[in-house]
Amino acid sequence: MLTPAHLALVQWLSPAFPTGAFAYSHGLEREIALGNVTDAASLELWLENILRFGAGWQDAVLLAHALDADADTEALDDLARALQPSAERLQEGQEQGAALARTVAAITGRALPARMLPVALGEAARGLGLPKADVAALHLQGFAGNLVTIATRHVPLGQSEAQAVLHRLQPLTASLAEAAAVAPLDDLAGCALAGDLAALQHETMEVRIFRT
Amino acid sequence: MPPNTSAIPRFERSHGLAHVRLRPGPAGARLEGLEQAGSAKAFIHRGVSGLEVVFLNTSGGLAGGDHLRYRLDLAAGCQATATTQTAERAYRSNGPEAKVSVEHRLGAGATLDWLPQETILFDDSALRRETVIELGRGAACLMLEAVVLGRAAMGETLARIAFSDRRRILREGRHVFIEPLRLGTEALTSGVAVLHGARAFATLVMVRPGAEDAVGPVRAQLDEAGVSGGASGFDGKLVVRLMAADGWPLRKQILRLLAVLKPGPPPRVWQI
Repeated sequence: MLTPAHLALVQWLSPAFPTGAFAYSHGLEREIALGNVTDAASLELWLENILRFGAGWQDAVLLAHALDADADTEALDDLARALQPSAERLQEGQEQGAALARTVAAITGRALPARMLPVALGEAARGLGLPKADVAALHLQGFAGNLVTIATRHVPLGQSEAQAVLHRLQPLTASLAEAAAVAPLDDLAGCALAGDLAALQHETMEVRIFRT
Repeated sequence: MPPNTSAIPRFERSHGLAHVRLRPGPAGARLEGLEQAGSAKAFIHRGVSGLEVVFLNTSGGLAGGDHLRYRLDLAAGCQATATTQTAERAYRSNGPEAKVSVEHRLGAGATLDWLPQETILFDDSALRRETVIELGRGAACLMLEAVVLGRAAMGETLARIAFSDRRRILREGRHVFIEPLRLGTEALTSGVAVLHGARAFATLVMVRPGAEDAVGPVRAQLDEAGVSGGASGFDGKLVVRLMAADGWPLRKQILRLLAVLKPGPPPRVWQI
């Protein structure tokens, strides 16, 4: 049965929650401009890469650690910042994290400092008592869902076609979340080299709609 | 699982530690201590722009079960450049991974340019490398890591590797930069957001107050043919990422960037 804790988490991770996710393309805008993402198949491959080898996995591991009752939140936040490959990606994590913490604080009356997004979410969700894998899975689907919405408008892609990408990624999303829930911080590794490079190159694009 | 070292005959593996300690002197950094054991060596010579430390793996490359350690301690106020004598090659492993540990410690106000030559990964290689640069108060560093996948000149394409290469920079115990690279067999063919056809890649990072200011001059140099690059300045850092079809254009691009980021010529062993 879904508890109020589940409903709170779904609320925080819904596109309507004011974290401003819609402004951040995570380098996708650059990939679209380069012609690397042109249809549903190339979007799915790019997203699969980012989830498995990039920020998807890394944020899920950070989130799982931030959910621990005795987490060293300051050190996790340092780590989350130090992991960012570029100014814009730092901004992406920092501003969404600050907005999430601020809004959850406002509606719950709790004191939640500004942190990088996965750390802020972990800190906010710590008291909900939900399994780490559930929190990580919903976070990963929210992250991918936002990028799918951006692709719908800018690739462009049909709505059903784009949502089918997200649907096909659900088994991967769930298995990454399961693995991240028990991963040690030493497992915080990745190799989204071209994805990171696109995020760096986004900074010098002449025409930009998104902040990343 | 760690290799059972007692079961592997000594002659099949090589272990080495080279530990250099430098302190400031009236004419720049000077040697305070040098410890060398096994297959690791270090040479020190005075270059045009200060003291250069050159680390060398005398076993000629890394094979499964090898463990190589390079350490450099810079006392407060010391300035030096450190590099490796040649490209490091990770050969086919018969199971166990090769390990490389790089640990550099900088006292207050010290400056290090850590510019090792590229690492070349052969098919079936298994390498775990950990690089840590610890900065004291006001210390600064420039760090390079360049990786080449196979020998393009020989038409080699990698089918299987296990490469873990974690690079970390801490200032007074707090992480300021971490790039935990892990490139395994499944990532070799993953595509658009991973290698996207590249066979060589590099990260160049500078940590120092005001490092962000270098982003303009660096971006102006990011046009080497055959190399795709990006630079970003934030949080007292400059981060440059490069990807290329082959190691040669990557090296040319790196040398052009070093000319902007570092006074004087590149390390002598780097010159082409």
